[in-house]
Amino acid sequence: MEVVLHLPVVPNVELVAAKAVETVGGALGMHQTGIEATSVAIVEACLNAMEHGGGQMVVRMSAETPAGRPGLVIEVEDSGDGFDPVETPRNSSTRVHGCTAKRGWGLTLIKELMDEVQIRSQPGRTLVRMCKYVENAP
Amino acid sequence: MSDEQMKLSKDVIADGYGLIAAAGYINNEGGQAIADAATELIDGGCETLLIDLDGTRIINSIGVSILLEIMERLLEDKGQLAFCNLTPTISKTFEIMGLVQYATIYTDRDAARAGLIGDASV
Repeated sequence: MEVVLHLPVVPNVELVAAKAVETVGGALGMHQTGIEATSVAIVEACLNAMEHGGGQMVVRMSAETPAGRPGLVIEVEDSGDGFDPVETPRNSSTRVHGCTAKRGWGLTLIKELMDEVQIRSQPGRTLVRMCKYVENAP
Repeated sequence: MSDEQMKLSKDVIADGYGLIAAAGYINNEGGQAIADAATELIDGGCETLLIDLDGTRIINSIGVSILLEIMERLLEDKGQLAFCNLTPTISKTFEIMGLVQYATIYTDRDAARAGLIGDASV
């Protein structure tokens, strides 16, 4: 099973990807909580791609996980300037109150809500690859 | 899950206590709609706000950042923010982003009323 979406940068297009997660995750037998966690993660990945990606993004979903366990693998690819994933600060819930910069939580949420996350980025191509196993609820 | 149109209502449930019921996608627009309702209730004298998210299944970090701003305004005014009817994922998102450190989470509206004002009737 594979789904490929070519998404333009238009308001709320991230919900198209979330709807696809709901459909594909349900077909795989994923628990509702896992579907909702994956939906939030893909929404954040799409928002990042829209904000930094420089145009259309491509979302791919498949049921083949690297470990051979039942799960949903998602890739979100954009053609932006790229960034260094190692240099990206990991937000902390302890620095929220009184902090003026409340944005930039996308990658932190993705890493916390998904079972596996890989980020590859270079000028012209950023790929966020994430996996949610069917049996795991967040 | 993907209904993007926010359905929102607000009410004063007791002297100083406001209720906002929000169902839909909490993004920048949904978060701002909640913030506008919160501002009206706070300006009207509510020091404690309960936000009921029954019917909300998906949020994003921009929407949550707006909820954080509501929380900060209430804390500055010695007020209190509470939520009820959160899905496990929304609850975890609030935990990750630090909302649960400063807001009280209740299972449902009855539990919230009982905990906040000692009244379980809706």
